[in-house]
Amino acid sequence: MSDGFDPADFIAGFIAETEEHLASANANLLAVEAAAAQNQPTPRQIRELFRSFHTVKGLAAMVGVEPIVDLAHAMESVLRDADVAAARLLPEAVELLLKAVRAIETRVHALGKGHTVPPASAKLLDALNGLRQETTPALPGEGATSLAPELWAKLAAADRVQLTQGLAAGRRAFVLRFVPSIEQAAAGVTITSIREKAASVAEVVKVVPQSVAATAEAPPGLAFALLLLADTDGPALAQALGVAATALTPVLLVAPSPAAAEDALADEGLSTDEQQRRGVVRVDVARLDDALERLSSLVVTQFRLARTLAAMRAAGADVRELSHVVAENGRQLRDLRASIMRARMVSVAELLERIPLLVRGLSRSTGKDVRLVLATGNAELDKGVAERIFPAVVHLVRNAVDHAIEAPAERRAAGKAESGLLTVACHERSDNRLELTVTDDGRGVDAAAVAARAGAPVPETDAALLDLLARPGLSTKATVTTTSGRGVGMDVVRRIAVDELRGELSMRTTPGQGTTFALRIPLSITIVDAFSFLCGGQTFVVPVAMIEEVQELEPGRTVRGPDRRRTPRGDADRRRVPRATEMMQRRGEAVPVVRLHDLLGLDASEVARPKAIVVRREGAPLAFAVDRMLGQQEIVVRPLEDRLVKVQGVSGTTDLGDGRPTLVLDLLAISEQLLAASTQVSA
Amino acid sequence: MSELHVLCRIADVEYVVPAAEVMQMESFTGATRVPGARPDVAGLMQIRGHVVPVVDMRTVFGLPTIPPTLDSRVIVMKRGERVVGLLVDSAREVLKIRPEDFQPPPPVVSHQTEGLVKAVVQTGTRFLMLIDFGKVIGEE
Repeated sequence: MSDGFDPADFIAGFIAETEEHLASANANLLAVEAAAAQNQPTPRQIRELFRSFHTVKGLAAMVGVEPIVDLAHAMESVLRDADVAAARLLPEAVELLLKAVRAIETRVHALGKGHTVPPASAKLLDALNGLRQETTPALPGEGATSLAPELWAKLAAADRVQLTQGLAAGRRAFVLRFVPSIEQAAAGVTITSIREKAASVAEVVKVVPQSVAATAEAPPGLAFALLLLADTDGPALAQALGVAATALTPVLLVAPSPAAAEDALADEGLSTDEQQRRGVVRVDVARLDDALERLSSLVVTQFRLARTLAAMRAAGADVRELSHVVAENGRQLRDLRASIMRARMVSVAELLERIPLLVRGLSRSTGKDVRLVLATGNAELDKGVAERIFPAVVHLVRNAVDHAIEAPAERRAAGKAESGLLTVACHERSDNRLELTVTDDGRGVDAAAVAARAGAPVPETDAALLDLLARPGLSTKATVTTTSGRGVGMDVVRRIAVDELRGELSMRTTPGQGTTFALRIPLSITIVDAFSFLCGGQTFVVPVAMIEEVQELEPGRTVRGPDRRRTPRGDADRRRVPRATEMMQRRGEAVPVVRLHDLLGLDASEVARPKAIVVRREGAPLAFAVDRMLGQQEIVVRPLEDRLVKVQGVSGTTDLGDGRPTLVLDLLAISEQLLAASTQVSA
Repeated sequence: MSELHVLCRIADVEYVVPAAEVMQMESFTGATRVPGARPDVAGLMQIRGHVVPVVDMRTVFGLPTIPPTLDSRVIVMKRGERVVGLLVDSAREVLKIRPEDFQPPPPVVSHQTEGLVKAVVQTGTRFLMLIDFGKVIGEE
């Protein structure tokens, strides 16, 4: 498998590209549907859809997946007809095409998993073909006549039929160009008079206003193109109209050539999106991960190099020259790392492109009218983060439609617009974080109802209310009511955003006016800046981003409160029962101090000047006393997967260059545990 | 058909594990302790680029732990997606044992070892116990 043609590679490429086309097809179908509701044609979307299905068909044929070829072919035909039919799709056609897109998706997934691809459903193919016959009363396409494309585009379907049928019946068609001028207006010749005159001698199919660019002779202005069907020839018509014969351009019927029309469609597609994509390489994320993995071993080697260098310097060797090389190497590694990280970024817009489909489905099943606004901008985030955060966004969107946005009648009664507004937005923050917000204008979270469910006092702040909402197991389907304005899964959302991605989740809610959930997540998680330190004889690291400050813990500056909780407990409980009665002064604030070795159940070591690592969780500061800070470096965190070693407060391991795993501590999770323990005691 | 088994010693008693589940053997010089993990988890070791949890079989069997020696071995075993090392006093031999020679342990032994001994086998003059790896890692 090392050289030559690898079908697996090819299939992976096919799947990636097809999925992209299907995603864009979904978005376009929804846009067509929305425009159809306002009776607007959507030529661009129709063309893009045509191109998507055309491409999928071609790709599927290359990898030999017949069921997908069949489906894509039928879909492509429906779209070709739609393009001819004045760029309109019937609602049932949209429905059917969405279904067909899902059918292709299912088959693509089957292919991806190495399963056999089920044949296309004959029922679906028949339905698609049935759609064709209904709409095929041979509507003329562009190129059916010699009419200039920009004029053809302005014609409604009925106009086109009128024109082509008239020509087919042997009548003549002309375009009369009329440029109003002050002189003509003075002579009483205006577009109105011309139109009336034309109507008396010929049939006016359409009057198309056109803007005229400035020329040497005249300033920019407005012109009109009148499309006429007449029974006389050009000179006779010109005479009857009182215009120069050169003002008339004949329009002729062009022999139909479906193949040519198809090619024209396909080519047109190429000129837009494909050109922008040129120069883009699609890469399997696994390959980027592999590159990153190799880079991380390089980073580890760099640490070792730096250590060896330090040892040599300590031994009195002249290492100035070598130091320069090592420093340069470090800089180059950082640059390389930045390049690979950039390659892993995906656009937020791409991440959220399935949300419209989700909202559409939800609003159908709930009977609610929901308008979705996606304000994603150009933000990008790491593929790994994107994959993790997506389910959280889906939860929030689902909750908003299911529970927060009211039914149309209820909204009307409350004096709101009948259609609910759901906004999914994202903003890039300066601290390498991305804020994703999901905002609805629904009923707001009913704090009293939530408190009653939780059996807790009514929370006074939004943060406290969110805490209740995110309590694991609080919500089951049986206890969720639509009137509580919330749904299931907030604990899941919080777990993803806070525990997995080390981000933040916050909420703002106003009864009757709506709710905003904000997810603040790091743009990437793979490599982090970290402090290493010694505690109880063991080395640990902690991500810099978690830490508010590191300071000296001066022996005379701490006080110890009375410890009434030192009741006998087993050794096994040592880790979970910290003795946080020690405090230190920090800018006028009393900060509780926890001896980390105590908390971790490690042996105490005598240290002259211990350090305090200060973190802040939900506004409350907490200091962890450690023995000694060792340094700051970039680390690659490997998550701990095995349940034997998956413990709260340890987010993974890293290799600091000594070939041994070093634990990466999640001091925020640890302080949350402590806070939880203290609220349990005080409650 | 006899199957290969790795023979190891824990406090002068001989045990076997099926070689089919053994990935490799490593000498042991210490592991990174994981606070809050089960008491029998000796810690984490980096083995050929992978971070592997190591279970101290002495603690599993309720015996006092000993400092690592030159003979100490970690038997790296795999079950499904999970890779876990078993820390034993020594492991040097590989034996062929016929599956039908294994017998269920007497109920008293089974109870006393909390099911950690899956079977017993007599080969020649040796009396060996088969460690239930799944049970050790909490798999079954």
